[in-house]
Amino acid sequence: MNRFIRRHQGTLTPLLLLSPAILTMLFVVAIPLVFSFYTSLTPYRLTRPESIEIFVGFRNYVRLFGNDDFWAAFLRTILFLAIALNVEFILGLGIALLINKITWGQRTLRTIMMFPMMFSPILVGFQFKFIFNDNIGILNNALQSLGITDQAIPWLVDGKLAMFSIIFAEVWMSTSVFAILLLAGLFAMPRDPLEAAKVDGCNAWQTFRHITLPFIMPFAFIAMTIRSLDVARAYDIVAVMTDGGPAGRTELLWTMIARVGYENARMGQANAMAYISTILSIAFTYYFFTKLVAARRYMGGAE
Amino acid sequence: MPRLTMKAMVATALVPLMAVPAVAQDYGNYDGYTLRVKLIGGAQYEPLYAEIEKWEEMTGASVEILSRKNHFELDREIKQDIAASTLDWCVGSNHTSFAPQYGSIYTDLREIVSEDALAGFVPLVLEHGTVDGRLVQLPRHSDVSNLFYIKSIFEDADNQAAFRDEYGYDLAPPETWDQVKDQAMFFADPPDFFGTQFVGKDEAITGRFYEMLVAEGGQLFSDDWEPTFNSDAGVRALSFFVDLYEAGAVPVGVPNYLWDDTGLGFASGTVAMNLDWGGWSAFFNDPENSKVAGDIGLIRAPKGSAGIRTGWSGSHTFSVTETCDNKAAAASFVTFLTDYDRQMVEARKGLLPTRTQVWDDAKAEFASDGNDFLVTVFETYQASMAEDAFTPPLIPEWIEVSNVLWPKLQAAMVGDMSPAEALNEAAEEALLVMEDAGYR
Repeated sequence: MNRFIRRHQGTLTPLLLLSPAILTMLFVVAIPLVFSFYTSLTPYRLTRPESIEIFVGFRNYVRLFGNDDFWAAFLRTILFLAIALNVEFILGLGIALLINKITWGQRTLRTIMMFPMMFSPILVGFQFKFIFNDNIGILNNALQSLGITDQAIPWLVDGKLAMFSIIFAEVWMSTSVFAILLLAGLFAMPRDPLEAAKVDGCNAWQTFRHITLPFIMPFAFIAMTIRSLDVARAYDIVAVMTDGGPAGRTELLWTMIARVGYENARMGQANAMAYISTILSIAFTYYFFTKLVAARRYMGGAE
Repeated sequence: MPRLTMKAMVATALVPLMAVPAVAQDYGNYDGYTLRVKLIGGAQYEPLYAEIEKWEEMTGASVEILSRKNHFELDREIKQDIAASTLDWCVGSNHTSFAPQYGSIYTDLREIVSEDALAGFVPLVLEHGTVDGRLVQLPRHSDVSNLFYIKSIFEDADNQAAFRDEYGYDLAPPETWDQVKDQAMFFADPPDFFGTQFVGKDEAITGRFYEMLVAEGGQLFSDDWEPTFNSDAGVRALSFFVDLYEAGAVPVGVPNYLWDDTGLGFASGTVAMNLDWGGWSAFFNDPENSKVAGDIGLIRAPKGSAGIRTGWSGSHTFSVTETCDNKAAAASFVTFLTDYDRQMVEARKGLLPTRTQVWDDAKAEFASDGNDFLVTVFETYQASMAEDAFTPPLIPEWIEVSNVLWPKLQAAMVGDMSPAEALNEAAEEALLVMEDAGYR
């Protein structure tokens, strides 16, 4: 035995040292994943624990492939993600560039910028639900008082307006994630290339397009990866503001999954939905990571 | 009012109070025991919990509140406890609509609560708390809706004359839902003023549709559990909501409204009639919060074409788990939380009691305080709780059926499909739910 240990000491030590990490990963990630995948192959109902023992194969998945409502929610989530991320990126970039220019009160502004993120998403949902209320909401009352419209605009009922309202709330809450990460990028940026560009006669737009933007893109892709995972799981704000309605017009994956899993107590079916929806998160993460690597390589080349 | 009459009224009002036995009930002795409970939280539920320390003093036990969440979160937590077999607590808040889902985790209270303690409850409410012949919950306060309206616009002579010209009958607080529809369309002047409003999503609109279906003479299911809400009565019931929506007689945002939206809407003075629960009464009549304070009329919920009043009802309740390690202490605790004194505490906040005596005594107390509005509120709600109230089918699948129904109701409302199409599609999906659950 001792001889065995002595002979394999070189290979055993790293394994031994890594074992706490491996065990943690196994218990925290792998086992729950395997278990929830197994439940997606059963008609498991939370209120009937014994139903976890009935194996139905891929029945839940087959049902989902024929479920138009699920795929509509899937596509709507992609649309929601794409719009929210782009708007947050553009606004976050604008805010970061503006704050970067300020010389006095920058710290205070940075703190103020973080305020929306400090609210719970449920509170943000309630806040915007009442702002967008058609009868007693501030927005409609303001628009009517200013004479801009004499109609009550159905912000949370009309399909497009309801998506807009939810995206607005999401953007309001989370733009600062982009702003803060991009600002960190701007702070870390070396002055030399900027000064060299100035000497070479670049105008402000050219400097921004060819020097600043490529430099902060890796930061943007990190923000996008974080936010894409967040937005793909969007639930609280949507649940409070519309709960996927009216008539499923704002139904996203997680409002549907939560309803099926908890309210209907059909956890097996909900887990099948969740497994398909993780494809979305994996796809977006993979895409942004490839972009991140490309952006880094580009920066490497530029050096 | 002459002082003598006033005194006489006060004296009369106090008689029932004096009739209450002065000897405090014996809640037993559970010295050193810790009772673990999961309760519903929220502003209107909290005043009762301030009373818990009195039970602790009386019994020597202590209460550990494991969670205090809103009902939907609590529901989620309890389902997780069932799944994980972690029902290591004794008392949980419950609701008549939710109770059937939980199977047999709660004990039959008739076995552990004395007949005397149960005798004081309104019999219909206890019946609503019974699932599969077992009394699994003790009702704390009830919920049923009646129609609030702005008095002055009904009394206005110009409105009366114009209404008579247009509809051929007198303008008066409505007795039927057809009259509500006429009057709502008459009063509506969007976007500034609306005839009425309704909650438009989640279980809320399912419940509203369900009570209208019953009032129109329909039923959700046949005797062998086939969905029958796509009947003519169902189409008439759904058309009521669709017609009002299309005519602009209700705010355009109603498909997204829940209880807070309708309550705040009526208090804003922009809605003529509002079907709502009693819990809003004090808020509506408080000049600080409400523009219609002092100008509110209240009548029992109107009738549908079958001559039945709408009366979708439920009660907030307490249940005791089968796995509880001290059922006697748990029974003592739920009896305490729903006893006479505790119900008076909740009634003073405008919540509807479940004990016959409390209905009468609370009314008498409001009368002696000169609060005529709350007296009217309690008289109206007492009548509807005793005569009109009915629950949804007490089956575990109620919420799941509701979840296939409400998006379709909304689809009809916003014009994506006709009421008949919407109900037919929902009935097909509901049939699947019932088949999956083994009913057919």
